[in-house]
Amino acid sequence: MAKVYSGRDGTMQVNGSTLAKVISFSVQSSLETLETTTLGENLRSYSPGILGYSGSATLLYYKADNGSINTSSLLNKLVKTGTAGVSSSDTVVLTFRWNDGTDNNDIKMTAYVTSASIGAATADLARAEISFVGTGALSAVSI
Amino acid sequence: MAFPNLVPTSRSFESGDYPVKTFKAQSGAETRILYGDKRTNMKLSLTYSNITDANAALFLIHFDSETTGTFSTFEIADNTRLGWAGHKRDLGAANSGNRWRYESAPQQVQVRPGVSTVTVNLIGVLT
Repeated sequence: MAKVYSGRDGTMQVNGSTLAKVISFSVQSSLETLETTTLGENLRSYSPGILGYSGSATLLYYKADNGSINTSSLLNKLVKTGTAGVSSSDTVVLTFRWNDGTDNNDIKMTAYVTSASIGAATADLARAEISFVGTGALSAVSI
Repeated sequence: MAFPNLVPTSRSFESGDYPVKTFKAQSGAETRILYGDKRTNMKLSLTYSNITDANAALFLIHFDSETTGTFSTFEIADNTRLGWAGHKRDLGAANSGNRWRYESAPQQVQVRPGVSTVTVNLIGVLT
């Protein structure tokens, strides 16, 4: 059956668990191009370079009935104690899903969280914003 | 093996000069003596961006096995001047009795697997 997807059909997972209270997410893929135009030519030409993935997401800061915070698995990758900083094990597996009943259209990647912010404002909901960059190949694509 | 017949992505040329010795008196008066009738020391800098490693290797091989580094002189290929609408003698060295040699070793920068950028600096010398 034909379908136009909306925000209601979107979900975001971290390490296989669906995040609650996601306001928005976006995923970008970008290809670096290497110019191969030479002297004497009038039109630009390119060779494909490196392909990469990145994106961002905004979540409400939300505590579930069991006391867990929905943003912990993402914010804790950058906002943490200790002097070790970020290591190569600090990746997350992100899945972005557009759902139509039992039909899931996914983009799945391993990513580093590259920025994380959380704030509070008078007369507004507390929300967290994260940016991420994918490392390696996508592990699943069905869009 | 001749100089690689590839079209550069950028090129800069300095036309050199005649062998002139300049003397300056304390009064500020300048005297110049011309020691030769041929212009020399022209410089040609060529950049080949994002070429295949196989093409990049042509410069390394030419520098190593054909010219013995900066020692031997050679002629450059016509494609080196492609895009120049003027006469090729104006952008060359041969018209003044010069030949090219490497001023320094070719610089190769790996851009990604299989793709490199090579910069070549040549200088015209009287032979």
